[in-house]
Amino acid sequence: MTFDPRPPAHLPDDDRIARLDARFGELAELTDALLRSLREGAADPALADRWLAVWREAARGEAVLNLIREVERERQENQTLTEISMKLSSTSAIEEVLRTILDSLRQVVQFDAAGIFVYDREIGQLEIDMLVGYEKSERQVLYQKFQEGVKVGQGIVGTVIMTGHYIYDPDVRRDPRYIAARESTLSELAVPIMARGEIIGALNLESDKPDAFTERDRRSLTAFANHAGVALERARSDRLRQHTRRMQEEITLARRIQTSFLPESTPDFAPYDLAGANFPSSEVGGDYYDFIPITQNDMGIAIGDVTGHGVGAALLMANFRACLRIESRNNFAVRAILGKVNDYLYETNLPESFVTAVYGVLDRQNHVFSYANAGHNPPFRLRRDGGAELLTVGGLLLGAFPNVAYEETSVQLSPGDVLLFYTDGVTEAHDNEGNEFGAERLRTMVQKLRNHSARDIVKQVSEAVREFQSVEIAQDDLTLSIVKYD
Amino acid sequence: MKFSSSLKDGVLVFALKGKIMGGPESQEFHDELKKAVNSGQRKLIMDLGEVEWMNSSGLGLLISALTTARNAGGEMKLARSTDKITSLLVITKLNSVFDSHPNVQAAAASFK
Repeated sequence: MTFDPRPPAHLPDDDRIARLDARFGELAELTDALLRSLREGAADPALADRWLAVWREAARGEAVLNLIREVERERQENQTLTEISMKLSSTSAIEEVLRTILDSLRQVVQFDAAGIFVYDREIGQLEIDMLVGYEKSERQVLYQKFQEGVKVGQGIVGTVIMTGHYIYDPDVRRDPRYIAARESTLSELAVPIMARGEIIGALNLESDKPDAFTERDRRSLTAFANHAGVALERARSDRLRQHTRRMQEEITLARRIQTSFLPESTPDFAPYDLAGANFPSSEVGGDYYDFIPITQNDMGIAIGDVTGHGVGAALLMANFRACLRIESRNNFAVRAILGKVNDYLYETNLPESFVTAVYGVLDRQNHVFSYANAGHNPPFRLRRDGGAELLTVGGLLLGAFPNVAYEETSVQLSPGDVLLFYTDGVTEAHDNEGNEFGAERLRTMVQKLRNHSARDIVKQVSEAVREFQSVEIAQDDLTLSIVKYD
Repeated sequence: MKFSSSLKDGVLVFALKGKIMGGPESQEFHDELKKAVNSGQRKLIMDLGEVEWMNSSGLGLLISALTTARNAGGEMKLARSTDKITSLLVITKLNSVFDSHPNVQAAAASFK
């Protein structure tokens, strides 16, 4: 059985006063003509009949009364809509606004139940936002049906949301689309709710009488639906704003956590001069450097870069740092420390995230730096005579594969040696032309600054990199640290 | 990042293009890869010849793909790594884990 929507009853439009005026005008003209013909003694029976018909209709005054009712209803509707608008601007509680809309609607349209439904575009389903006139059990039935999922195109409301056209259903018993919840409902009228040119939901009225709604009701409902649209849209943007603020707070927190992991001050470790700096990118990054005092004469030196940015990176970094700090105090062999850190990170990590790091122990008595490089950009050892070596011995990056074996090696340091640790944010800093800062530029620069203090080298290099890099391209974190044998 | 896949002689080749740096497309890639592996595909090749740039998240994508393949008893090979990717693989020492080949044919032949 197909449903044939009954064309809505057509009610007088805005020219109705003019038409009433014309009707009275016609009566006046007919009266004049009739009186004239009487005076002339030649009464026209056809004219008399015509006059009588018009006079009778006018005498019943129905047209006048209808118009008065219409105008009054419009006045009331406008007043109600104004009240809703005021409510809309004074409260942000969406529920209150929607309830006001349905309550006010009752003053201008007769109905037994109403509902406001919104369309969640992301999941392609409808949700109930507000119901009035439903018994508790009927409400439960409807919520149950919507929980199971009502898609766009399903039901009368779903069809309205799909097509953007209203549906008037004078007898729901004959409409297969009708989703039955209220047993007593006989007729239904649903109009789309629009916001910024998009269909965002539907406003639906039900009546226990058949054929209960008129074109006039449809127009009132549409006007109220527009207000509901404004309210829903505002509630949506409020939610979005709150979400953005929460995200922002989360990022701020993550950044604070991350910053708290970095050394607050540089330990004194003469004859070695230590310094480091970290410049996080606009997002929360995943760079890390550390100086970990192990014994009076042994200092752990670490630099690391965790995959990604944001809260995930900060958490991974927290994990890595905690683990490294614990293991560095339990073990003396660097390769064993990195092996344990790797296994721990592997067990707790997502498969696609990992850490690259260099960890080494600086022995200031014997001037030996024992290190292992776990997939990190190789640090430089810069000699006083201008020579340079890359510290590449080690093994795989950390946390991606189980049971990785690491090699370690010892570097015998000489006075004047500079160890330069950095993350790829330094060497891969881009300028506007897409050129990279590069490891060679970095090495040359530090070599030139070798007679400055470690702190000064770090400062000048990071300034140079930040000056080099384009402000328009999103850049990675910058981290570097210097160990200088004075 | 863009990717397309093609099946040839029982080997599934994923051709990656553009900048491989994480983001929503890498989730799509993972889903596609998992689907292939779950449906029994065991021989995978990542064709990296059209990759402009790759960061650590991009490496994470390759690692995760390899792990997915290996956990299912399969294997994944790399083909046409650019200089930039090769140097990333060397630095991170992932070159000890990934089997890289100059072209797709050589990578496919290495399965036999």
